[in-house]
Parts: sequence; C-alpha cells; structure tokens
Amino acid sequence: MRVEEKVGIIGWGAYIPRWRIKASEITRIWGFNPETPRDLMIEEKAVAGRDEDAVTMGWEAARNALLRADIDPREIGAVWFGTESKPYAVKPSATIVAEALGISPKKLATDLEFACRAASEALRISIGVVASDMIKYALVIGSDTAQANPGDVLEYTASSAAASFVIGPSNEAAAVFEASYSYITDTPDFWRRAHVPYPLHGEGFTGEPAYFKHIMNAVKGLFEETGLKPEDFKYAVFHQPNGRFPLTVGRRLGFKPEQIKPGLLTPMIGNSYNASALIGLARILDIASPGDRILVAPFGSGAGSDAYSLVVTDKIVEKRDKAPKVDDYLARKHYIDYAMYSKFRGLIHRIKG
Amino acid sequence: MRFSIPRFWREIPSRYRLKATRCLDCGKINYPPSNVCRYCGSRNVEEYELNHEKAKLLTWTKIHIVPNGFEERKPLIIGIVETIETKTRILVPITDVLENELHEGMLLEPVLRRISEDSESGIIHYAIAYRPVLKG
Repeated sequence: MRVEEKVGIIGWGAYIPRWRIKASEITRIWGFNPETPRDLMIEEKAVAGRDEDAVTMGWEAARNALLRADIDPREIGAVWFGTESKPYAVKPSATIVAEALGISPKKLATDLEFACRAASEALRISIGVVASDMIKYALVIGSDTAQANPGDVLEYTASSAAASFVIGPSNEAAAVFEASYSYITDTPDFWRRAHVPYPLHGEGFTGEPAYFKHIMNAVKGLFEETGLKPEDFKYAVFHQPNGRFPLTVGRRLGFKPEQIKPGLLTPMIGNSYNASALIGLARILDIASPGDRILVAPFGSGAGSDAYSLVVTDKIVEKRDKAPKVDDYLARKHYIDYAMYSKFRGLIHRIKG
Repeated sequence: MRFSIPRFWREIPSRYRLKATRCLDCGKINYPPSNVCRYCGSRNVEEYELNHEKAKLLTWTKIHIVPNGFEERKPLIIGIVETIETKTRILVPITDVLENELHEGMLLEPVLRRISEDSESGIIHYAIAYRPVLKG
C-alpha cells in the first residue's frame, strides 16, 4: 500500500472575489495588441476588493472546506498557508486564519513560499503527517492576490482567488490520493526580490524550461510509478498561468481537451497563483462522480511541479452541497474599470496617514 | 503607529469571530461581549459566537469623511444588521455591495475582511464584515 492511499480530501472550498476586469480594458490602458488576450486565452480576471487580501480570501475558502469536511475546527491539527502575496512580510497568515476559524492554539501552523506551488507542497506535507498519524486533519490553503507590474503582459492574468482542502484519513474522504510525485530544479523563470513590489519573468523562458519541463516530468514520473495512462483519468487539472498552456501540456502528455476544460478557470478568472490549479481541482470536485480518477499537477516557478492521482468516493455526493460551489462565485461578478482596479490593488501611490 | 496594539489584541475574538456573551438568566446576547448583561445586570453569562449567523440589513449609512486608516475604503458603508437566529443587532461594515443594491431587509452573511490598517508599517486590522448572501 502506498502512503498516499491512507489519505484523502475530506472537504474542499474555493473563493473568488466579486470584482472582474476585462482583458480588453487592460489592452485599452496599456496599448497591447488587441489579439494578445486571445493568444493567452483570457477574457477577464478576478480582482480582490480594497478590503480583501490573501488572508481574507483564504479564510473564506477554508471556511467552505470546513463546512464540507463537517468536522469541529478544533480537530484540525495543522494549518498550512501557501501564498506569494503575504499581507505581512513577517507575521504568519496561517495564525490569523486559524484564530478566525476557531482552530485551537495547540497546532502546527506556517506559511509556505514556492511561487505558485507552495500550497501544493502543503498537500504533500499533509499526506505525510496524516498518513503517519501525527495529526488527524490538516487544513491546506492556497490564496493569492497575484501581483503584476502595471503594463507587463502578466497583468492580463495575475488575479485573486483562493482554494482550500481539509486533508484527513481516507475512510472519511470525498477523494482518496493514489500516488504523488514531485520534480524540482533551480530554474530562473520568474522571481521577485525583497522590497521589489512586482515579480519579473524570463519572458519566453517561462514556457519550455519551466512550465512544460517540470509538469511533464512530474506527470510522467507519476505514470511510471503507477502504470496509469492519460485515458485512465476522467479529469486532468494543470497549473494555469494562461488558458493555453494547460491545453498544450495536456496534449503533449496525451490528454484530450474534454479532460482538461472542466477544471480550466483561467479564461474566466485569470491566474490566481497558489489557487490556480487547486481551484480547478475544487471545481472538478464540485461536479465529479464516485469512481472518477483525477490528475492534478500544480506548478511553481523557481521551479517545481507535483503530480497527484485522486479517486473520487461515494462521500462526494453528500458533501458537495454543504458549501458554495466554484460556479456560485463565478456567477457573482461585477465589472470594474482600470481606475477602480488600480485603487483596489493598491497601484496608486499615496502618502498613508 | 497610532493605534493601540493591546486593544486590538484584546478584541481579536470579537473582531474575528463575533464573540459575544449570552446571559444565562434573561437569554439575551450581548455584543460586544460583556461580563455583566446590559439588559438585566446578571453576571451569569457564557461565551457565544455570532459568526455563523446570517443577518438582515436594518439600516445603513455612507461615510465620506473617514478616520485614519480607512482612507482607501471610502465611501464606507456601515450598517446595523440583525442576526437571524438570535436577533442580535450589530454595527458592521457592509461589503461587496454597490450602493444601489442596498435595501432594507436584504439578507447578509459574515465574512472576514481587512477593515483598516495602521499606516504602512503597523498592524492590519481584520474583522467580520457582512456582504449580500452568495446563495439565497
């Protein structure tokens, strides 16, 4: 028996802010080629409001995950918060969320950083500590108010959203892990130095040597270890920095667009970094049937990818309606212009009192 | 830094989880929490958290001239809401709403929000705000 098989997803939850900016509005302001959003397969992106940040969005996704887990929050043994947009440079986000959710103090709790992959790393850590019986339940949160240098092509996609999972014993799970596989190298594709407000990226370098190489090696590694093939999966979710990359990496690995599109949210909400692939997984869990097998492969710059295989259980049916679904948040939207977006995301510099 | 850190720290349970007290003699909820029931004077009270309760909007106001720390949030919409289960009235920020959507009796739900912050370098004040329910 693999270690992973002892562990599964007990509850899942997502959060998408109400506000949206259309890609065409970013084109209008910065003079990009009007074809650029179509190349990126992005229509609009979600924007966190002035009173939101990674903590508040992570809180709501985690609250939804706890509702579906249907456990007393005091039973959570660890809170792991994956983000690259921490509200404090030094002071954990995990403790704020734990306090606000009534998760009692005698816990493990920390923030993790690995660009867009920190929350995925938290999933793998959770598998280890739950499988070893060190704790019964872990709360994993991926939440980002992704930053982009104004006028950078990254601004089309850098968005805000959160996803969360309660990880626990497989006999209580809505989806059980079968296997997991990680692949990391030192790759300078995307970074942000200290005291610099926006990340930089190595232009074309973000594709082949970063996104494609790491995801393909992680997924191929998973296939080699398990003997699974693309046709064994009902759904496949990849990190989604734009709408196009996940379809391309899926095709190269032998997946069909029908397996990928149900979990592909970037065209509607943008790339929510630590929530990017995981909110795709949340949407799949909103619609999946018992017995479905799901491949999930998040990616983080710097760079690394994890591939997970999950099998959905009968328990998914009773859990699904206990919290708002991804589609409820997708339907709740109001468009803002670039000026309001600038205010909401703190792009306007002012002397603060 | 202008705001009292000890005061914020003391208020964390009532800010983050709407911690109140319930009077074991008259049954009323006291928010903010109080060791003495402000309705009957009893000291026989227990902790009670309101943060799972949806609420109805009773009334609201819009504030254009705001205190320090709230400048980027103006205009602030502040409402008095009445929770559904215990009929507790609380004064809270109303969020994720356009002014023309506000109406008396609208159903709201609690969410954690970043209410204010102490300059560039001080503590960020998180607290419960209410927003229109996602699903009726």
